[in-house]
Amino acid sequence: MNAPGRGDAQIVERGFQRYEGRRSGVPGAIRSVSWESIRATLGLGRPARTKIFPVIAVVIAYLPAVVFIGIAVLIPGDILDPEEVADYPGYYGFIILAIVLFAALVAPEVLVSDRRNGMLAMYLSTPLNRGTYLAAKGVAVVTTLGLVTLGPPVLMLIGYTVEGEGPGGLGDWLLTLVRIVLSGIAISAALAAVSMAASSLTDRRAFAAIGIVLVVFAAPVLAAALVEGAELSPYWRVIDISSMPFELVFRIFDQPGNFPELATWSVLASNLVWTIGGIAIVWWRYSKLVIAR
Amino acid sequence: MTNQSIGVRDANRTARLDTVTTIIEARGLVMQFPSTRALDQLEVSIPSGVTGLVGANGAGKTTLISLVLGLLKPSAGSISVLGLDPDTSGPELRAQIGYGPERNVFPDDLKAYDFVRHLAEVKGLPRDEARSRASDSLYLVGLGEERFRPLGTMSTGQRQRVKLAQAIAADPRLIVLDEPTDGLDPVQRDEMLNIIVQVNRDFGIDVMLSSHVLEEVERVCDHVVALAEGRLIAQGAMSELAGASGGIELELVDLADRPTSIDDVVTLLIGAGAGVRRSGVTLSVVGFPDDDLFDLAARSVAQAGARVRRLGQHRRTLDDIFATDTHVKPILDISATGMDGTTS
Repeated sequence: MNAPGRGDAQIVERGFQRYEGRRSGVPGAIRSVSWESIRATLGLGRPARTKIFPVIAVVIAYLPAVVFIGIAVLIPGDILDPEEVADYPGYYGFIILAIVLFAALVAPEVLVSDRRNGMLAMYLSTPLNRGTYLAAKGVAVVTTLGLVTLGPPVLMLIGYTVEGEGPGGLGDWLLTLVRIVLSGIAISAALAAVSMAASSLTDRRAFAAIGIVLVVFAAPVLAAALVEGAELSPYWRVIDISSMPFELVFRIFDQPGNFPELATWSVLASNLVWTIGGIAIVWWRYSKLVIAR
Repeated sequence: MTNQSIGVRDANRTARLDTVTTIIEARGLVMQFPSTRALDQLEVSIPSGVTGLVGANGAGKTTLISLVLGLLKPSAGSISVLGLDPDTSGPELRAQIGYGPERNVFPDDLKAYDFVRHLAEVKGLPRDEARSRASDSLYLVGLGEERFRPLGTMSTGQRQRVKLAQAIAADPRLIVLDEPTDGLDPVQRDEMLNIIVQVNRDFGIDVMLSSHVLEEVERVCDHVVALAEGRLIAQGAMSELAGASGGIELELVDLADRPTSIDDVVTLLIGAGAGVRRSGVTLSVVGFPDDDLFDLAARSVAQAGARVRRLGQHRRTLDDIFATDTHVKPILDISATGMDGTTS
């Protein structure tokens, strides 16, 4: 190896300097805020205690899929068809609790924290405005919820496919994948809108989380009371936010679902109303918010 | 830092000063909240450099900052920042502004480095650039060795430095700092002010800082905008508003046998057209050339039968701007003071 000579010496400047390069603008800001919100929700780059709850929710969501794949591996398909144990739309019945708890965790962390710790004013002093800020947060909530609404069925599809128990043929396989993706997005969007709406109405994360859980669990009780107790039209079921997203999943998979008396359009409309209504509440709340520092 | 790089920065700064001479301009600016008028017909023109925004709590400083950033929409009037309207060109404008808020509450779990890096990314810097500039900024403010500490474990002084670091990390044209020395001890305050001056001098970044500590504004700012109850009471170059002759100061003796003598002197001075601020037995008098003021004071004292303990020239400070008394004229006739310091 040659020894370095005097001609090789150079001064490498370190320290703060001007930046004249490109800037990513609003799309980059949305991307960065979304990613940082996801990191905060999952406790990435944070102390271990902040990871506990997300890890528990994710484990609950994925555990049944792992078990079902294990069953497919251990028990031959001619003895027990794995989809008789749990098909894709039916899978959500096993993890609905994890999804609801995750929704109650994610949106308050993503929205309430910013209002409490001053980050909202910081973000709005960047290229973001209220609309693009909320878009970034919405992407973060939907994406994070997708971890428990989309991930487990996709894992199940891959596991079944590897074990030779998946959909027959590429066409059926792709159709199933599309149905899974649509289902995950539909559930995530509806629950994200409702949980973001609840989170926009209070500055306490605990209150927001409790509010989300109450809405989700009170809705089926109220719907049942109206339909079965008061013997009103079965279409009163559409107020049930905890059932309608999952009912829509059955319809996406072309199955009658738990409420076959409801037309598919009414199930779809219910989900759209919950989603758009939630977004409207969030927008109304943030458009009225005075942010002076 | 090499001499060559310093030269480049000076050239950059000169180029910027040539292209933008007025960074903020407000015309008839009104901000009306439901129960209060935070700003009332504000006419402000802020040039390049370090500008101090001064006023008591509730004067409208934070409201003006919020309007500069486009966080609020003015009820009436207009405001232009770096040649852009914050309301219609908000994203484009805010990409060029760094903001250090007054409040010290940030995500406790987040490391200082991650906080600065993230906000640099949000301002549009590519990820790799944001990473290196986050470190560079934290080193610049003296937190290089502490940059991986969570914000929740940092002292108030360190948090103030982190706020400054995130404000400059994305290399803005203008940084807006709301009470940047709040909660700092005198040593920390000096260090913070030195860094702020360095940011402007070495990197050509314009600075607008709000403060209610007039002494620190006098120390570091090139220009000052003074607000009181939402109204502009002074603006101009610091050299014109502070340090120059500010009339005369007259200390009288409180005479037991003539208890109204000081009041009489005040009345005579005001009657002659002078501006007077009274603080106990001390009068500050303005309104005419100093020689005329000395003559006027001597005549008034003699006529009132008062007795003088001390008579001398008054060196103007920013305190004078806020010195108003309900029964005497303001000591400084602000409306006659232009941005260039000339009086009409």
